[in-house]
Amino acid sequence: MLWRKMLRDLKDNKGMYIACAVVMVIGLLFFTSFSMVLVNMEEARNNFYYYQNFADGFAEVKAMPVGEVERLRFVEGIKDIQGRLVKDVRVVFPGREDNVYLRLVSVDPGLLNPINGVRLESGVPFDEQGLSMWIDSKFYRANGLELGAEVEFVAEGKKRSLRIAGVGVSPEFIYAMRSAGDLFPKPEEFGIAYVPYQTMETFFREQGSVNSLVFKLAPGADYQAVEDRLKLELKAYGLKSIYPRKDQASHAILSEELEQLKNMGRSIPLIFLGVASIILYIMLRRMIENQRVQIGVLKAMGFTDKEVVLHYLSYALVIGAAGGIAGGLLGAMLSGPYTAMYRLYFNIPGLESRFLPASLLLSLALSLLFSGIAGYRGCRAVLTLEPAEAMRPRSPLPGKSVLLEKVTLFWNALNVQGKMAVRNLARNKGRSLFIAVGMTFTFALLAMSWSMWELSERMLFDQFEKIEIYDVKINLSQPLDRSLVERELSGFPGVKSVESKAEIPVTLINKWKKKDVVLLGLPAGSELHRVLDADYRQVQLPGSGVVISERLAQLLDAGVGTELTLESLMLKEPDSPPKVVVAGIIPQYVGVNAYMELEALQDMLGQGEIVTAAMLKIDERDLSLLHEKYRDAAAIAGLEDRAKMLRQLRELMGSYSATVYIMLLIGMVVGFAIVYNTSVISVAERSRELASMMVLGMTPSEVLAVIAFEQWFLSIFGMLGGIPLAKLMLVGLARSISNDVYTMPTALGMMSPAVAALFTAFTIWIGQRAAAQKIKSLHLADALKVAE
Amino acid sequence: METLITAREIGKYYRMGEVTVKALQGVSFELYEAEFVVILGPSGSGKSTLLNLIGGMDKASDGELYYGNTPLHLADARTLTLYRRSVVGFVFQFYNLIPSLTAYENVSLSAEIAQQPLPVREMLEQVGLADRLQHFPSQLSGGEQQRVALARAMVKNPRMLLCDEPTGALDYNTSIQVLRLLKEFCGTYGKTVVVITHNIAIARIADRVFYLKDGRLARIERNENPLPPEKVTW
Repeated sequence: MLWRKMLRDLKDNKGMYIACAVVMVIGLLFFTSFSMVLVNMEEARNNFYYYQNFADGFAEVKAMPVGEVERLRFVEGIKDIQGRLVKDVRVVFPGREDNVYLRLVSVDPGLLNPINGVRLESGVPFDEQGLSMWIDSKFYRANGLELGAEVEFVAEGKKRSLRIAGVGVSPEFIYAMRSAGDLFPKPEEFGIAYVPYQTMETFFREQGSVNSLVFKLAPGADYQAVEDRLKLELKAYGLKSIYPRKDQASHAILSEELEQLKNMGRSIPLIFLGVASIILYIMLRRMIENQRVQIGVLKAMGFTDKEVVLHYLSYALVIGAAGGIAGGLLGAMLSGPYTAMYRLYFNIPGLESRFLPASLLLSLALSLLFSGIAGYRGCRAVLTLEPAEAMRPRSPLPGKSVLLEKVTLFWNALNVQGKMAVRNLARNKGRSLFIAVGMTFTFALLAMSWSMWELSERMLFDQFEKIEIYDVKINLSQPLDRSLVERELSGFPGVKSVESKAEIPVTLINKWKKKDVVLLGLPAGSELHRVLDADYRQVQLPGSGVVISERLAQLLDAGVGTELTLESLMLKEPDSPPKVVVAGIIPQYVGVNAYMELEALQDMLGQGEIVTAAMLKIDERDLSLLHEKYRDAAAIAGLEDRAKMLRQLRELMGSYSATVYIMLLIGMVVGFAIVYNTSVISVAERSRELASMMVLGMTPSEVLAVIAFEQWFLSIFGMLGGIPLAKLMLVGLARSISNDVYTMPTALGMMSPAVAALFTAFTIWIGQRAAAQKIKSLHLADALKVAE
Repeated sequence: METLITAREIGKYYRMGEVTVKALQGVSFELYEAEFVVILGPSGSGKSTLLNLIGGMDKASDGELYYGNTPLHLADARTLTLYRRSVVGFVFQFYNLIPSLTAYENVSLSAEIAQQPLPVREMLEQVGLADRLQHFPSQLSGGEQQRVALARAMVKNPRMLLCDEPTGALDYNTSIQVLRLLKEFCGTYGKTVVVITHNIAIARIADRVFYLKDGRLARIERNENPLPPEKVTW
């Protein structure tokens, strides 16, 4: 029967309980969908890595004879090592203006279990004539290719073509980006092709040699020790870089994505479950207060404390179970489209959205745990309630003058309702606090979501509207002399200005902390790639020393004046790395870089006046001519149009805005749940007081005015408290979201407090409509009757 | 006749700030099986306090109180709960039904925790509510609610029924109905019924009457010829 009582009580207050459960559902929806996607992705990735024999380490050299690679097998700690040619070529698609590139990766069809083996999705082995290739599935689909089709490309200035024999992917290119500067994969413009070595070597002048090595470690081998040994061996072949799996671009981005998913899967549900628990706790406490006579009766009848506590706990557990199941199921449903979204970016064969009963059970357990704790804390008061005492109506709270009355100017300005409201607030400190805290949460959630929207706009557009403001960037395939580059390009028709820059991969070290970054050498006072401080003032790069991004400073634990060690394979003498002093720290939201004045950098490297890229301002009319002329030049790796980049970013942000709207909606739902519940509780537990006012002759709207005044008054403090909370939440979110590609700023957006205040006010107003309904339906005689 | 309750010099004191309020002091009596006792006294005389002590809702501050051989004044919360569960049935002035349960469910709730409950439907029929089983308290009149409360107390088949002003909120006719049911329960089932009231007229239906005044038991009177309830007027 107590079970029925509980169900009926829930039904009578369904609005409140549903509001609370919705908050819980949202939290668990995130939890389940995130954890299902995470587990599915991790499993698919691990399987893929395992079966395709993903490398433990990677090295790039200028050229190394194929025969020499075998010798490296005997280096201590190496289990297997393979050499290959990796070359980017431009694809010639008839009728297409844009630049499309393929990265040709040589493979050895004779190997049984090659390192980074290709998993074929469809197709056949390479043909005997050496005229076929396998192509990555994303590129294949994005460009509408077909098996058996010929693809034409330009290698070393000559047109070649290969037939598509198969479609597949290797673990190295799950997330295939052409360069670290790209923000996301563009499969229609860049893809991977796997070509038999015998075929590929004939296309390039490096015939008989390789320029890339992949290796597996022997069980128990230490990567660093192996790297040190390999460095010695590879030095003679022009070692450009050597790095472990964790720094491999595709793996690093996938790992960061999974890490982020894991962090968000923990923090977001925690926030929502926390809010839901607080609501539940307050609701139960209020309910127990209101049902004290019923509790007394139950105890008088002989129900034990345990039975009564269990009864009230069952309210919380039923809400928890309902929220857990609903949230879990919705999350499971959502994990399908969510996985599909990941499949757009990450090419992991076998990535399926599988339903995981364990996640659902965990979600249920989590909700029961949270609601159980909230419920137990909420109904603990039952234990101390003596039956005889419980049956007596509670003595009224003492009414006394409040501190604010001393502020005569304020006090006299209030009408009677206002005075009542202020005294009520002071008398019911617990309730006042709850309402204020609720509004703090609502405000903070809304401010945070809106801020994220504003900030992500700033994050991305600042980079390409204020910082990098060239029209075209030309990446060189190898370092060239600065004056040569600038002379060549400034003579091109339509070019208004030319600046060159050096992008040098380096390792910066501060004590035991180290970080691999690209060091940008920019000409003093560069107008095309500007270095800006937080207030968008141009920072002059000093003649010596290095300027680093905020995130880099944080990662290296460095401040202005810190001396960093700089290692780079581009140094003339890599064995005696120089020291550089941090001269300044600047905000950077896209990428993580260090900056140096170009000439200072060139001096430090000791390789002459080398540059690796050029930036141009050019007439739009002449842009296609520029592409035409340089896209097949051997010295040029690629051209980047800023306008195109911005266009792609806008598209990306367009799809992102949906996420922000959802966040805002969630913020409003949570806010509404809090404000609505506080209003309804407030009316319910004060029905006598409110009825008395109406009996005295006050109209329902005058009665509402008292409650409304209390809420508005509290909301001012609630919202003020919400500003630091929003900031805190942003910092937490930034910490879990920021990675080497994006660094999320943590300053509250300009508009967000205003927007949040507006939405919070709207929520309060809606909540008050609900309260008004309850007041209108108050049964005066019943409310004034004794006992309850 | 078997002695159900024995009270020796019991007292109940409340501390209210500096002063100690003696709600009850030096009260001694016995309650026997199958008798109908009325406790009379003005407001504040300690009637409800005494009922709470007998019912195991509260513990005496002084003296000794026994149910059979069980010392209630020494009992822990668990024992008192068990005592309330199996020995006592309560009826309150304001009925105190669970508003979200129907008449039938309110009575069933009580039957669920009893060791040897009486049939729920039979109890409700006995109090004349066979046609109101599925009504919620808010759909019942005061008299009907009190009869549900009676059924709820009786269904547990307790040895003792304790009623705090059971007719206090009812009109004359309904009051008589309720008193008749109480009297029947005492006579038919052989249960002890204790009724608190400040209505002197009701005292005439009792076997014995306890007069309380200022927290003390002024006197106990035995009624040689108790009247049937319908003969009582006020």
